[in-house]
Amino acid sequence: MNLLVSYDWLKEYVSLNVKPEDFAARISLSGPSVEKMFPQGEELDKIIVGEVLKIEQHPKADKLKLVNVNVGRLGRTTRDENLSLVCGGTNLYEGQKVAVALVGAKVRWHGQGDLIELQPAEIRGIKSEGMICAASEIGLGEAFPHQESEILDLGKELQGSFQPHLGKGGQGGIVPGTPLANVLGLSGDVVMDIEVTSNRPDAMGMVGLAREASAILKKPMKWKELALKKTSHVARPASHVDGGLSVKIDAKKACSRYIGVRMQGVKVGRSPWWLKRRLLSAGIRPINNLVDITNYVMLETGQPMHVFDTKKLLTPPLKGGRGGFPSIHVRFARANEKIQALDGKTYQLDDKILVIADAERPIAVAGVMGGEETGADEQTTDIVLEAATFDPVIVRKGSRKLNLQSDSQLRFEKGLSQMAPTSAMARAIELVTKLAGGNVVGAPSDVQTEKYKPMTYSVTTDEVTGLIGVEVKKSEMIDVLKRLGFGIKVTGKTIKATVPWWRDHDIEMGRDLVEEIARVIGYAQIPSVVPVGVAPRPTDAILQWEDRLKDATSAVGYTEVFSWSFISEDLLRKAGYDPKNLLHVQNPLSSDWAVMRPSLIPGMLQAVADNQEREKDLRLFECSNVYLRTTYNVPRTTSAQDVGSGTWDGLPDEVPEMMAVIRDADDNEPWRKAKGFVEYLLDTYGITDVHWKRVSQDPSWHPGRSAQAFKNDKPLAIIGEIAPQLTEKFKIKGKVGAALINLREFVEFAKTSKTYTPSLPFPEAKRDLALVVDRNVDYRDLELAITRADERIIKVEWFDTYAGMGIADNKKSVAMHLTIGSREKTLESAEVDGVLENALLACKEKFGATVRG
Amino acid sequence: MKDQLDALRLEIERDVKAAKSLEDLEVIEVKYLGRKGELTSMLKGLANVTAEERPVLGALANQIKQDGLDLIAARREDLASSKYSALAETERVDVTEPGARPPEGHLHIMTHTIREITSIFEKIGFYRTRYPEIDWDWYAFEALNMPPEHPARDDWETFFMDAPISKKGKMVMTPHTSNGQIHELQRHNFPIRMIDIGKCYRRQVDATHTPMFHQFEGLFVDKGVNITHLRGILDYFAEQFFGPGRVSRIRPHHFRFTEPSFEVDISCGICGGTGIGADKKKCKVCKRGWLEIGGAGMVHPNVLKACGVDPKKYTGFAFGWGVERVAMMKEGAKVDDIRILYQNDVRFLKQF
Repeated sequence: MNLLVSYDWLKEYVSLNVKPEDFAARISLSGPSVEKMFPQGEELDKIIVGEVLKIEQHPKADKLKLVNVNVGRLGRTTRDENLSLVCGGTNLYEGQKVAVALVGAKVRWHGQGDLIELQPAEIRGIKSEGMICAASEIGLGEAFPHQESEILDLGKELQGSFQPHLGKGGQGGIVPGTPLANVLGLSGDVVMDIEVTSNRPDAMGMVGLAREASAILKKPMKWKELALKKTSHVARPASHVDGGLSVKIDAKKACSRYIGVRMQGVKVGRSPWWLKRRLLSAGIRPINNLVDITNYVMLETGQPMHVFDTKKLLTPPLKGGRGGFPSIHVRFARANEKIQALDGKTYQLDDKILVIADAERPIAVAGVMGGEETGADEQTTDIVLEAATFDPVIVRKGSRKLNLQSDSQLRFEKGLSQMAPTSAMARAIELVTKLAGGNVVGAPSDVQTEKYKPMTYSVTTDEVTGLIGVEVKKSEMIDVLKRLGFGIKVTGKTIKATVPWWRDHDIEMGRDLVEEIARVIGYAQIPSVVPVGVAPRPTDAILQWEDRLKDATSAVGYTEVFSWSFISEDLLRKAGYDPKNLLHVQNPLSSDWAVMRPSLIPGMLQAVADNQEREKDLRLFECSNVYLRTTYNVPRTTSAQDVGSGTWDGLPDEVPEMMAVIRDADDNEPWRKAKGFVEYLLDTYGITDVHWKRVSQDPSWHPGRSAQAFKNDKPLAIIGEIAPQLTEKFKIKGKVGAALINLREFVEFAKTSKTYTPSLPFPEAKRDLALVVDRNVDYRDLELAITRADERIIKVEWFDTYAGMGIADNKKSVAMHLTIGSREKTLESAEVDGVLENALLACKEKFGATVRG
Repeated sequence: MKDQLDALRLEIERDVKAAKSLEDLEVIEVKYLGRKGELTSMLKGLANVTAEERPVLGALANQIKQDGLDLIAARREDLASSKYSALAETERVDVTEPGARPPEGHLHIMTHTIREITSIFEKIGFYRTRYPEIDWDWYAFEALNMPPEHPARDDWETFFMDAPISKKGKMVMTPHTSNGQIHELQRHNFPIRMIDIGKCYRRQVDATHTPMFHQFEGLFVDKGVNITHLRGILDYFAEQFFGPGRVSRIRPHHFRFTEPSFEVDISCGICGGTGIGADKKKCKVCKRGWLEIGGAGMVHPNVLKACGVDPKKYTGFAFGWGVERVAMMKEGAKVDDIRILYQNDVRFLKQF
């Protein structure tokens, strides 16, 4: 969690005489990390205090006044100067201390729009070199709320803020000419944005940060814990306070402590500036003195608090002369109970949500937010202050369930100590008494459901040194732990440390003590040593082959994509899958990312569709996992869309696949390039004796233009064209050639070693042969027949197939280059012709082939 | 006769000089020096001169023939080279037109980055692994010392699968590669120097998060492994991956599966770690001279115990960082919105 921390404020708790920059650098290396720094008061440059001397009517405008203002000694003059300013403020009076923006100051007209630089102006014919500001015009609207056209009355607003920065007793310090930032105590302060890790809620307050600073920078604490006086530890409060408060914890596991204090005779009003300033520095809007105090105490101690208006609580009926005074119940909500929270919204509660209730109904969602109906308002005089310890998990789950967040909840859900509420309550009582008056009625009702016992852990000096890797003196270890508040007992090499209450959630074992010692000493003190001397182990074969295949594929013009592992049901349906048989995400972020993909095809087709206008000759590939049933027959030899059904009892098999696609607007037979691509891979990686079988039953693939490659009956790859039904659904124009490679099977046969076959020692002859055969004769069979017809036929290479004009119906002409040669001698022309004749004869016999005329 | 020979020499010299082409030279050679050329026919006249003159004139004629051939040869060379020098004009093309490129493919920036990371760690004895992306809760959380109520185990932050719960808990889309630590530790094959790289999933989308991303998880477990070794590896990686002079630092942080836990920063390459940019103002790239790269820590004893490894005997460190993040952190990458990585737009993909 990130906190906004005023350095000036922090210095009230610990003696710090270092510059903010140095403080930030040092503490970030050993504790909470300072991420950003915001110097204060800069935006109030050229805005100064002025005193209204004389007010006259503007000659030409009813609503405007001409105001003569003493603005002190501007520049290097030795006398006070007066400015005549045009002003429409409705609350002007002579003697008033106001904020004057001089020419060059940054203001926001009427509190709206962007900041603009003030220029000399002529308003209805009268010159005005400056402006008397409303609070909202100089970014102080939240600090000093006001009616429209009321200007900032500094004397009134800063009354009661007897702070050292105001000089001689508050108001007296508001001297004309003084920069406003000085008067407000902002000059020189720096607000730091500090990240505190989730295990350290104790440091999510000024006191906790001061403790860290004290331990890390070795500076003394100024803050003294306050004790709660006259505390009663009786769990039956009805018996000890007349007219006070009864507190009862029903949900004992969910609330380990609840302190309720009733105060009467308080007066609600605005908080003084010094308090408002602290809240504002932390990004909290001031409301009224009571609410501000609870927020202030939370910012200071890290312990959230709440205030109820006692008169709004429903009290139990009088019984035999007893009861009749307000009661607090900590319990789970009942079915159908509702609460309107302070954010104005109404929340439906259930029995998993912890609430604070009066005699009848919930008055707060415990640890999250108070109820609107029982909150303090201007009329409030009788209050109940709450400081409690709630279970972090219950608070978190309740907050998530209601989708209701607050500063209080953010702290509770990280786990606060049961010991924290006492001093926070004492501090709150002190501040209420001081700022709102009133008295505590009876004794505080302090109910604890668990007895608190501090934990003790041990660590040996050898363990510390062993893990850090450099020698640390025992005395230094002890010193660091003591500075952090641990109680220490040493026996030989063993250090026994009792955990201070504010660390009772994050220190869980001896190992944690090593961290405390190491971080406070400073990680920068630990040297850096590269460990050497281990024989490397071989990498997993699939990972290696993925890399080789990616290289081989990108080398021939394909560009790699990474598609989502989870895809939409819509995409799956377009690709012909039934989503119900697939593995679903239970809590998807959106329907676009809902189902684990069983194939690379849907995502790839989407990529083709998205890019088809961008490139004429589009070649893409992906090499990633798909998610299939382990129990199912993987890899699939029949249909990719046949993925089995039923529940997903085991983890899915994460099957590595590679898919390459080619979509060329001018290519009407892209299957050929897809096949050529796979042939290239097979050749490159020495996979021979591959058999191709036609694929006609797989709805993803074109039934007439797809084939599957097998080696020893294992399916290595499918190539072909994507079924037009699919490409049409994806709105892809033209045909898509594709190759899908099963990596596991491919890798089983692939090798990087090669075998050399010597070339023939005598010149080879090249001859072309064009044969006319039935259209359904497969080229592969022709090739085999020719190769087997004569051993001197070294190679047969297809180069064209033709059907149509000049060829009989149901016939086709297949043209091939033949390479003919011998190991014994150079063949004579007549011998070559003889070989060709043998080839032709074989084809005639087998397929009734004739030579194309 | 001597006069005739001298005149012939002059004629040859004049004609050779005047020759415009190789063909001209050919004609000249035949005309004067050929078998039926002028010199030959002139030599027939030698029969009519005195015995004293004959050898002198014979020598002169031979000299003229030799000189003529030399002249022609020299002139031939001149003409030949001038034929090539004319190519600049005769076969001129516009060389600013683009070339005909071979088919060009591109690997994804993730593949490039994963390879670079892998090779850096392989040099110091790490081996690459890949463990399940979809795993049981026990591997993804429980064994990593994350208690059942840990917020990461909420369905607010982590994706779960719509599948029956097993003895090892719910089926989870791993939100980190740290489940790889558990699988690797369970092998008990020491020393462990793993670099596990794989896909992870979290319920988050913005300019710096995608619901699917990649992490690389380093795990080093052996006897006597300590913080100095982690610092060594971090500095080594900083310099290898980001460039000379870049260093790392560690700061306190909190993770359940390490103790102590660290946040790792890399010194900023733009401001040189000073936090002050060239314009003397705050560096726009980094936080006060440093860039956060991710978390690290010493493997928590409870994690070792969960895998049946004795924490008194073995110690180690682990780190798990986003591949996308380090790719984007690299100077000059200029990818400022992570989402473009997974939009599969060729205009992006072809730049890597």
